[in-house]
Amino acid sequence: MVCPYCACLCDDLDVTIEGNRVTGVDNACDLATHKFQTGNRLPGPIRLTGKGWTGIGREEALDFTVEMLLDADRPLIYGWSTTSVEAQSHGIHIAEEIGGVIDATTSVCHGPSILAIQEVGHPGCTLGQVKNRADVVVYWGCNPLEAHPRHLSRYTTYADVRKTESANVADEFLHLKPGGDYAVLGALRAIVRGKTDFIPAHVAGVPKAQFLRIGEICKGAKYGAFFFGVGLTQTAGKYKNIRNAIELVDELNRHTKWTLTPMRGHFNVYGFNEVCTWATGYPYAVDFSRGMAFYNPGETTAVDILARKECDACLVVASDPGAHFPRAAVEHLASIPVVQIDPMVNATTAFCDVQMPAAVTGIDAEGTAYRMDGVPIRAKKILDLGYPTDSAILGEIYRRIRDERKVREVKGT
Amino acid sequence: MKFLLLTGRTIRQGNAVESKLSPEYHDATSACFMTPFDMMDAGLDEGDAAEVKGPGGRVVLTVRADEHLPPGHIFLPYGPYANQIITPETHGTGMPDYKAVSVEVGPADGGPVSVWDLMEAMGGVPYHP
Repeated sequence: MVCPYCACLCDDLDVTIEGNRVTGVDNACDLATHKFQTGNRLPGPIRLTGKGWTGIGREEALDFTVEMLLDADRPLIYGWSTTSVEAQSHGIHIAEEIGGVIDATTSVCHGPSILAIQEVGHPGCTLGQVKNRADVVVYWGCNPLEAHPRHLSRYTTYADVRKTESANVADEFLHLKPGGDYAVLGALRAIVRGKTDFIPAHVAGVPKAQFLRIGEICKGAKYGAFFFGVGLTQTAGKYKNIRNAIELVDELNRHTKWTLTPMRGHFNVYGFNEVCTWATGYPYAVDFSRGMAFYNPGETTAVDILARKECDACLVVASDPGAHFPRAAVEHLASIPVVQIDPMVNATTAFCDVQMPAAVTGIDAEGTAYRMDGVPIRAKKILDLGYPTDSAILGEIYRRIRDERKVREVKGT
Repeated sequence: MKFLLLTGRTIRQGNAVESKLSPEYHDATSACFMTPFDMMDAGLDEGDAAEVKGPGGRVVLTVRADEHLPPGHIFLPYGPYANQIITPETHGTGMPDYKAVSVEVGPADGGPVSVWDLMEAMGGVPYHP
């Protein structure tokens, strides 16, 4: 079956089930095994009142959510990386219906990669092509052994600011200074173009001799694959680092075949970008407050909206901004109504007025997800634990919002 | 002492990411990795409490040795502890600076607080079933 942890979406897992419980997982990495065996589900919807947390019914939870979203002037809907494209589609419809902003965890992982791709294109490929054809693979600014443990089947060159376990299995390790990615990529571009005289003895801690050696390895490949992680997107330069990487791949394609793929994190974070692009024309951070889709990362992205204390309600689905956003952004969640749809109690729970548990897509809910190379894969339902799916909950919220808007229009409120 | 902060994923953090209130997640995300030489310079031993001050705030973490880090750098796993010192400035990209951030590290009393305590300090209300 398909693994619902990271965007490798490994589809060769053998899962043993006894008595509606997962008792064994074969072919999986450590991360996937833990996900299949996590048992700390929230049993039912909860609500925070003046007397503390209490259990509530699903009807009350849905009513609260609908009212919160309709009463807000600037609602933010955020998350989406660990749910199905079907649920993501409902989320986008809800955002459009209420004139809100919808953003995904993309904005704090590979959002800058998308900005670069919008500037200079994406020389992509499938992971199958890499597995069957690549004879040189570069990992840059990522640590696949810890973040995508089964990705690492072929390996030649590794570039990072830390000498991680991943670096230990590489044939070449480019140890560059933090913030030096743009300069090092630029130096490699110059070398591939034959402009070696321009390169000083060291660039961001990397000796010229190593540049020359790596340049020859890359040009001599029959099929090269360049994978990069958030080491490029989260450091100074952001999307300009990725642009330089894409242009390096462009340069290499004048000599041989090279491709480039972002190492997407959560299992369906790429799916949101696909669905959002079909539906709105933009991949994430879409603002419907003007009555049309408006996209401007830096303005319409979740961290910026929260840090400016701009939104007055927030619906969080299948993510945990409480744990993964900077403190100043999280603090605003404490001052506005928040509803979360998530199977587990997490850091964001502390900022919720209501949380509704849902089935985990790929374990007790089926659904489609996009692998990091853009290939859609259907994840199966293997357990029946009685939870509704994200898609069912969000579809119902959308239906009730439309009905309630009609009622309010008739009343003139 | 001044250091350059790097944040990132670790397999221990990834294993516990679905159990944010577990001791495993607390231990995995409240660690501050430094080279043994930097620990010596800063007057810190393995397991000591250290306060890390950054542009977004401060947090107390547990010192862990990592000989593979470059000198002058600390590494924090992704999670609520690292985010106490990250600013929400995105430079017009939507993405905060999670790498190569200038921070100060020094000895501290006590140790890292729980995830719930961190959330409560930001205005949250911990959930206790």
